[in-house]
Amino acid sequence: MKRLLLLMIVALLGWAWFERQALADFPGILSAYSAKAYCSCRFVMGFDEAYCQGYVKQWLPLSALEEDSQQRLISATGLGQRHQAVWQSTRAGCRLLP
Amino acid sequence: MKACWLILVMTAGSARAETWPLPDWPVDTVASDWQAVDSYAFPERDARERSGIRSDALLVIRDGRILHERYAAPTTANTAHLTWSVSKSVLATVLGVAQGEGHFQLQDPAARFYPPMQAHRDVRLADLLHWASGLAWQEGYEYAPLKSSVVAMLYTRGRNDMAAYTAARPAAEKPGQRFLYSSGDSNVLAAALRGMLDPGAYADYPWQALFTPLGIDSAVWERDGTGTFVGSSYLYLSARDLARIGLLMQREGRWRDRQLLPASWVAFNRTLFSQAQAMPGEANPGGHWWLNQPLQGSATPWPDAPTDTYAALGHWGQALYILPTQKLVIVRYADDRDGSYSHNELLKRVLAALPKGGA
Repeated sequence: MKRLLLLMIVALLGWAWFERQALADFPGILSAYSAKAYCSCRFVMGFDEAYCQGYVKQWLPLSALEEDSQQRLISATGLGQRHQAVWQSTRAGCRLLP
Repeated sequence: MKACWLILVMTAGSARAETWPLPDWPVDTVASDWQAVDSYAFPERDARERSGIRSDALLVIRDGRILHERYAAPTTANTAHLTWSVSKSVLATVLGVAQGEGHFQLQDPAARFYPPMQAHRDVRLADLLHWASGLAWQEGYEYAPLKSSVVAMLYTRGRNDMAAYTAARPAAEKPGQRFLYSSGDSNVLAAALRGMLDPGAYADYPWQALFTPLGIDSAVWERDGTGTFVGSSYLYLSARDLARIGLLMQREGRWRDRQLLPASWVAFNRTLFSQAQAMPGEANPGGHWWLNQPLQGSATPWPDAPTDTYAALGHWGQALYILPTQKLVIVRYADDRDGSYSHNELLKRVLAALPKGGA
């Protein structure tokens, strides 16, 4: 029994090492996606805040989604990471900040 | 003799009567019953559950005239709606203009126009247009975010330079041998376009080459951190403007009296790339467009639509369908969050609802 558990832990660690890049990236997806999608929903498609909040909603909740209407800047925080997207121009829409 | 004259006059008359959206789409006044179409496309919407068929826009055009048009709030006729992967086929259309201007040939290596592809010297532009670069790729969004290349490209390590992210992928197969749907291939094409043009001409090119000649004024095309168009995913157009691209395609690249796209380019778009695996209900790849033509030994993807039907298709149900024989262009925008929508069912109902006569 102990042996089996040990084997499973080793396998899990091996998998985590193998997928280390994807696992490290994962927590950033939610906030990056939300900031970008919300920015475009608001400032490109021109929909209201309530609709856009529903539009970007994922199965994991955000801890913050802030809009700076003057700068047309969106900040999203989730899974401990924060990303920002900002409106660029009429033709170029929104872009995630690096 | 009189009969000859009559035929001549009638032909000349019908040529003159060709309808174009100038400046806006004319509306056909022939009455028809669209109830079966609307009840399928626009069922009662549950905003909390986000389940079922959730159309935002439906626009049916026959031979240049609007037969039917409907929107679901908050989308309106003026909304520049996200097209997702419909962007890819529009990118191909922009490239078609560039090809007509002599900027490249289909068999040119991508590396000629986009140096990071030196790592994959044998990948030709035609391979990228067939989504057959052979580069390792995992498409798929919300169900496999951990392993998805497209999520990594758009939102994490690829987002600042999407073509470079793609070009840095390892080769999984020889180029041109097998269809593997990849948003990365489309963004390498978007980057290659820049290399074909004079410095400084790129940012305006989709407008100069395609949107402005067609009278499209709603277009927004978002870019990555290097200024490359996100050719895979981030084009926004009103439904009526996307239909202009549909009409251009339906009329084989001609816009009024100008051959904007070479007819051979449209033929390439509509030629089946046969090194693909048939998936039930899924259209087959052509040259960066999707075809209803069956792969050998397989069923027609959308059995109730003509086999010459082709389409630009995007995530969450975005679609531009072209039925050349019926002279139909159909735009559907949506926010489908599950797989309940069926292309075949919509096309079947539209075909059944068409008013008799006309084109």
